[in-house]
Amino acid sequence: MDLHFSEADQEFRARAREWLTANVPTAKRPAHGPEAAQFDRDWQRKMYDNGWAGVAWPKEYGGLGLSGLQQVIWYEELARAHAPHYINTTYISLMHAGPTVAARGTDEQKAFHLHRILSGESLWCQGFSEPNAGSDLAALKTRGVIDGDHIVVNGAKMWTTDAQHADYQELLIRTDPDSERHKGLTWVICDMKAPGIDIKPIRTMLQDEHVNLVFYDDVRIPISNVVGEVNKGWSTALATLSFERGLGFIGDQLELYERVCRAIELAETVRMEDGRRAIEDDGIAQRLASIKADTIAIRSMTLADIAETDRTGEPGPKGSMMKLMVTSTHKALSEVVGEIIGWEFLEFNGDRSAHPWTYDYLWSWVFSISGGTNEIQREITADRILGLPRGR
Amino acid sequence: MYLAPDGDEIEIANAAAEFLADAMPIERLHSVNSADLNASLRSTLGEMGWFALAVPEAKGGSGLTPVEHALFFRECGRQCAPVDLLAQCLAANMISDDGLRQSVISGETGVSLIIADGDSFRIFGSSDATHALLVSPDKAHLYALDGLDAEVRPALDPANSIRTTMALPGLVETVAGKPIWQLGQLGTAAMLVGIAEASLDLIVEYAKVRETFGRKIGAWQAVRHPCADMAVRVEAARSELWYAATALKEGRSDAEVHLDAAKHLANLAAHANADSNIQLHGGIGVTDEHNAHLLLKHAMLLSRLFGTKRSLLARLLNARLED
Ligand SMILES: Cc1cc2nc3c(=O)[nH]c(=O)nc-3n(C[C@H](O)[C@H](O)[C@H](O)COP(=O)(O)OP(=O)(O)OC[C@H]3O[C@@H](n4cnc5c(N)ncnc54)[C@H](O)[C@@H]3O)c2cc1C
Repeated sequence: MDLHFSEADQEFRARAREWLTANVPTAKRPAHGPEAAQFDRDWQRKMYDNGWAGVAWPKEYGGLGLSGLQQVIWYEELARAHAPHYINTTYISLMHAGPTVAARGTDEQKAFHLHRILSGESLWCQGFSEPNAGSDLAALKTRGVIDGDHIVVNGAKMWTTDAQHADYQELLIRTDPDSERHKGLTWVICDMKAPGIDIKPIRTMLQDEHVNLVFYDDVRIPISNVVGEVNKGWSTALATLSFERGLGFIGDQLELYERVCRAIELAETVRMEDGRRAIEDDGIAQRLASIKADTIAIRSMTLADIAETDRTGEPGPKGSMMKLMVTSTHKALSEVVGEIIGWEFLEFNGDRSAHPWTYDYLWSWVFSISGGTNEIQREITADRILGLPRGR
Repeated sequence: MYLAPDGDEIEIANAAAEFLADAMPIERLHSVNSADLNASLRSTLGEMGWFALAVPEAKGGSGLTPVEHALFFRECGRQCAPVDLLAQCLAANMISDDGLRQSVISGETGVSLIIADGDSFRIFGSSDATHALLVSPDKAHLYALDGLDAEVRPALDPANSIRTTMALPGLVETVAGKPIWQLGQLGTAAMLVGIAEASLDLIVEYAKVRETFGRKIGAWQAVRHPCADMAVRVEAARSELWYAATALKEGRSDAEVHLDAAKHLANLAAHANADSNIQLHGGIGVTDEHNAHLLLKHAMLLSRLFGTKRSLLARLLNARLED
């Protein structure tokens, strides 16, 4: 064991800090709509043009080809610099669509998509879940019929985040009509501008319309867009989920420490109803300190995991434990801040920058439900890490 | 000794449930501009006498007790009724001028709720309300709002609008003593119990129909056990609510202790149940069209009224029960 950051690591951190200080956008990110997506594309493009995109992506795909550890450093510096939040419309393309195409795609698919993803030119969405297939993803019914060199898709996906901004989609469909569960599925790249796609936004309790229902009416997709093999899409989907659950929340993991520090600063200034500063209240101070310890441990878990992944080459099953730890710490922090800022916590208009703490609190349910609910993460931990007998 | 609604109490609770489900169903909050009591709702409630359940008959009320008050507000909680409904009711119990009191009881005059927040004030209630109430544990002030200079703030909870002001206009009346605060505490505790119950009902219903992996989700322990925990919270908070209401009705010396305990348990139960209800619904639980978030957001407001966690705990630490 060692905590040695090499000279290259240190030099990378210094350069990242310097560049971010000078280049983090000063303009506020628009909260919703095409303006928000354009803002995200522009920021991604700026990082790409200046040689900061895809820190741990291989050089052949336009990345920097650096280690996982340097990627950690990069996310830490993003948080420190108050850079635009990494969970934005580029999130799916960078965090799991790109890595899936890189791991399982054909040479043509890699050549076409990976640079576009890194430069912010193409945005992606994830069409896995359906109205009746969420936790139980293998119950999905959207079907694809092979017709010559195309697959013709009919059905509906639900919860598709940012479908309205996306150029492409990770689409998981049933191509063998007689198949059940995990068999007979295909993972295919769907062009979101293809005829027959209809997108209906779903409003959420965060007063946004980022998730959608997506309907497919005879949508024709070239078979050359299949990632992996026809009828063997579950394997590709598992790769996608391993990226999503493995490193998908790395930004939050590292950013939580910065956030708890900000909360402590807040507690040092805000007065409570009894006139004392919030930090003078033992209950508040102890909760903040305990959450800070959790965020410090989360950083250690992240480093341990990243170093392991650097050795083995692929993310392990520990992501589920990480997600449980991060989601509960995130919610605990939001709750204590809610007590600190008092009535202001009840003001909200859907804008993350205007009401960051209330937004984060509401987001804690999105966090503990999307990408596999906390209940399912506990199931995975019990199955895959502890080897307990399965109830499902 | 009996500690659950009985006889006429059951009839009043049922009548309130039926009336509110029709006049102000929680679903109203899915349409815009549904915050607060509007003039027509206010007069509908007034006509039925709901603002004056606990006001003596000689003063134009129904002459009932804190028990009926609590039963009514529990049903209000289930529908996420706006908090100005409570302000209206407290004003009916406080105002000494016969004319003004009658006008509040009938719903002709509207009353908002004022909360002191540092150097400023927050006003919850419709902008057509001409009066507002500011209640502390030992007195209640009624203000006339003519000439009020207030700023509208964006409200998280769609059940109530929020305005802030630096100065309150004309003071109409101050009443010393605890009764108004106590009715306020009982009313908010009851509404929070209603929210905790409504959250439990929603998830129990859903867990019986939603299927994953070939079984109803209510069959998974990860779902059924948290549901059972929600039921325990409801049971505890509701029993304590009935005790507090009855102790207040009977003028028992430890009524205050029970009110504090009832409010604290109700704060916790409403919050935890609204939280679990969203989580156990999965994705559908975070959608705007679902009622789950309405219960959470309204609980966040109510838990900050008439006894916040810190003030309740400070008093509870040294509280003693009587025989
Ligand atoms: C904001 C948001 C964004 C999303 N974005 C996307 C996206 O971009 N692409 C995409 O494909 N999907 C997306 N999702 C979908 C997400 O993955 C699902 O919502 C999630 O997997 C849960 O599925 P469900 O909503 O169908 O809930 P259900 O599966 O119906 O679950 C309901 C409840 O039952 C519990 N449960 C179910 N089965 C079990 C079991 N066996 N054991 C224990 N508990 C169980 C769940 O934990 C949950 O509490 C998003 C969801 C949200 C809320």
